[in-house]
Amino acid sequence: MTAEQQGRRFISTTVEVEGREETKVVEIPNRTLKPWGTDAKLDVVGKPVPRVDARDKVTGAAVYTSDRATPGMLHAVLVRSSIPRGLAKIDVAPALAMNGVIDAITFSDLHHSGKPIRAGGVHFLDPEVTYAGQPIACVCAETSGQARAAARAVRVEYEPLPFAATAERAVAADAPPVRLKGGNISRSSPDLSSRGDTDRGLAEADVVIRGRYTTQSALHSAMETHGAMAEWHGDQLTVYEGTQGIFAVRDEVAAALGISKARVRVVMEHMGGGFGAKNHAGAYTFAAAILARRTGRAVRCVLDRAGEQVDTGHRAPATIDVTLGAKRDGRLTAIVVEALVDQGISGWEASTAKIFHELYACPNVRTSETFAYTNTQAMRAFRGPGHTEGAFALERAMDELALELGMDPLALRLCNFADHDQEKSRPYSSNSLARCLEEGARRFGWEDRKARSDDAGRVARMTRNSASGITLPAGGGPQSRFRRGFGLAAQVWPAGGGPPAYATLRIHPDGSVDVLTGTQDLGTGARTILAQVAAEALGARLSDIRVILGDTERTPYTPNSWGSQTTPSVAPAVRMAAEEARCDLLEAASEILGIAVERLDVKNGMIVPCTGAAAVPIAEITRQLGDVTIMGHGSRGPNERGVGLMTFGAQFAEVEVDSWTGNVRVVRLTAVHDVGRVLNPLLARSQLEGGIIQGLGLALFEERVIDARLGLPLNAGLHDYKVPTMADVPEIDATCLDTVDTVANPVGARGLAEPPIIPTAPAIANAVADALGVAVNDLPLAPWRVLHAIQEQDGGWGMADGR
Amino acid sequence: MRLVVNGRPRDVTPGPVESLAETIRTRLHLTGTKVSCGRGECGSCTVLLDGRAVYSCLTITSACEGADVTTIEGLAGAGELHPMQRAFIDHDAVQCGFCTPGQIMAAVALLATTPVPDESEIRRGMSGNLCRCGTYPRIATAIRAVSSQAEAAHDG
Repeated sequence: MTAEQQGRRFISTTVEVEGREETKVVEIPNRTLKPWGTDAKLDVVGKPVPRVDARDKVTGAAVYTSDRATPGMLHAVLVRSSIPRGLAKIDVAPALAMNGVIDAITFSDLHHSGKPIRAGGVHFLDPEVTYAGQPIACVCAETSGQARAAARAVRVEYEPLPFAATAERAVAADAPPVRLKGGNISRSSPDLSSRGDTDRGLAEADVVIRGRYTTQSALHSAMETHGAMAEWHGDQLTVYEGTQGIFAVRDEVAAALGISKARVRVVMEHMGGGFGAKNHAGAYTFAAAILARRTGRAVRCVLDRAGEQVDTGHRAPATIDVTLGAKRDGRLTAIVVEALVDQGISGWEASTAKIFHELYACPNVRTSETFAYTNTQAMRAFRGPGHTEGAFALERAMDELALELGMDPLALRLCNFADHDQEKSRPYSSNSLARCLEEGARRFGWEDRKARSDDAGRVARMTRNSASGITLPAGGGPQSRFRRGFGLAAQVWPAGGGPPAYATLRIHPDGSVDVLTGTQDLGTGARTILAQVAAEALGARLSDIRVILGDTERTPYTPNSWGSQTTPSVAPAVRMAAEEARCDLLEAASEILGIAVERLDVKNGMIVPCTGAAAVPIAEITRQLGDVTIMGHGSRGPNERGVGLMTFGAQFAEVEVDSWTGNVRVVRLTAVHDVGRVLNPLLARSQLEGGIIQGLGLALFEERVIDARLGLPLNAGLHDYKVPTMADVPEIDATCLDTVDTVANPVGARGLAEPPIIPTAPAIANAVADALGVAVNDLPLAPWRVLHAIQEQDGGWGMADGR
Repeated sequence: MRLVVNGRPRDVTPGPVESLAETIRTRLHLTGTKVSCGRGECGSCTVLLDGRAVYSCLTITSACEGADVTTIEGLAGAGELHPMQRAFIDHDAVQCGFCTPGQIMAAVALLATTPVPDESEIRRGMSGNLCRCGTYPRIATAIRAVSSQAEAAHDG
């Protein structure tokens, strides 16, 4: 806190979420916490304790949205457009005539007193459709089977309109209008950002490389599909929804229905994954709430798998042109980027270019991004949005540069280490990228990688003649069928969180503790690490803590669980609530025990006098207090001004490419990330591995395919849209550096959810390029792309050498 | 018709093409069994049918007359977790938990037929169960732990 902020209750501050900065006026908590530094002696925080909700999850007791049911509950099914663009004439009469069908709604049934309801970036149930799969009606029935049959019976006639299913088509001069209003590119396009003088930077460069890199449309594909269950009690609506943002859903439902936020309660107990796709209310939410109001019965609307894959968002595909200029010693002199991003029908502009400004030291950077709208499903944040796509282009280009310079890829990155945030001319709270690279290289065995693969006798190394660009086998030896390669890539991501976030803690007369906070546990382990923080700060036993999350009516506000911000935003608030309760607990214990408060401590559930008197359980004090309740309130204070709260990391990949089939097998991956204090190493490793495995899917197989001629998605299922299985997963060595970030917040931890997906695909792609001596610059690295690259390289001898 | 579900006889009147998943979840209110794809692509709905792992979303209830069905709710005995459930907790083989019941049932079935699986047997045995959170390395560790416990107990 600066001197000018001293004594003020509210200040203006900036918060960075998913790469977007917001300015907010926030309160300054009336209590300051001494940061848990490196020397802090912590008993529970930092320990590998199992998840507090794991028992419910392994016994089937955990309740998810699709498990919510009440007597008389109806089942709702959305009817979806089967064309990408046009006018739908909808007749629900045949559905309403069917057995068990209770109600159906279309656009004309909605009361449009104010603005139309928006769901997923389009008007809810709009008959003028702008992508295939867009909801146009909803039916509800006594059973889910009846509702599905009724949805099929709804009669729809279409008047098709011209459409554009790809960004290239949408930005063409003769493109049809994609949306109902506005042009085919976003208002902010082209989004320009620059520092220094890139023309001069390129003129000064000894070496310049250029490349085009493309990334695919990827689908979140959470195991639990989107859905909501809604029930009214009088004019009070309760919505059960597996969402990353209960307060966002509450606000959107209240606005859509024109009712007070106090009349909407949103509850999220457990959810089956989100990955960015579940941050807002959707068509299923509004349909359930409206049909429940119309029918006077509870209504559940849970998407089927096909609906999930065509209408819950995607990672926007990007085409990124990169020019890098460097001195002979490897120092970057210029970075120039032109990107075209295919948003789908809507979405926010997740910058693919930002990482080019952040990751490496370079005085001259110029980026231009165009965000195009197309008649396909909307963009939604997907774990590390923008940075993940940008990292693929940047880190592939860096390897091309290393090859051109004859430099080791690791050395090139280390010599371009950015010791501060050049974009905003500010220091980082901590930047351990060089340490991540060095530690990762050590664990991976980067230095002697070639020797080890040669020992394996499987690889003939390739070198490239940098003057001609022609690729030749090193030493002219014959190529083997299976070729090993090694690659690395680095990552940066804003993950500092920020205010507002609140928590309340209360101790029951038996010594058990409730922590109430309105955040969400997507499967990240938030419930567990918040219990650890509360136990630590209060001095209670972990087993006495219950964390109650996800209820807009009964838990205090916290933001959406996105942007890797739950830990850094909510954990400090929980710590503050627990410390306030601890102070009161000690005061009460002092009165009851007759010992001065400053001679008392509380640890592991016991009040410990330093007088040598016997320790007394917390439960004994609270039993004597009876219903006089010890409570604590905590809030998240503002972030330090003028400091970048970023996480960094590096990953290393070893691959084996089958040059006959084009199949890429990832042999092993090493990841080292710096996220500040690790609150629970068991859970942190799981989250690292999870991000890496999603990154592996992005690298190798995942791709939503649209038939550009018909504008229809072709692989709306988990068979054709392939996510990694256990059989695809290599040996993974994932770890975090042992650091503490006391600048970021008093708990010392930054976010960890998104960073691990960012460098995985480029590390794998770099390893494939290393194995083959020719690069594949388009994701995913499907066998046909790899084979194509091999054939382009040398007329197909890789295929035809007969072994 | 009669099924034996988690050791108890249950009389149900399913529709002609009703899936076992639907019967378990909506008629018997055992919602631990999850449905994620509904068409045999993901394994979330895996249960044991006469000891074998099946996708309950593709199993027609009316064809299961007299069969013995074990769901995730039936795995723990008298307050005591099944060793596989315990191992999933200890090794953090759970993130969001939605696929977990199916993963555990598949793992139990794997060890029933292959008590000491090698790496490729674990991979093959479990690759019909998707986990989008990426708990696979932890699941494999949990399976190895249970397998070696059982082996040690047997040897002892």
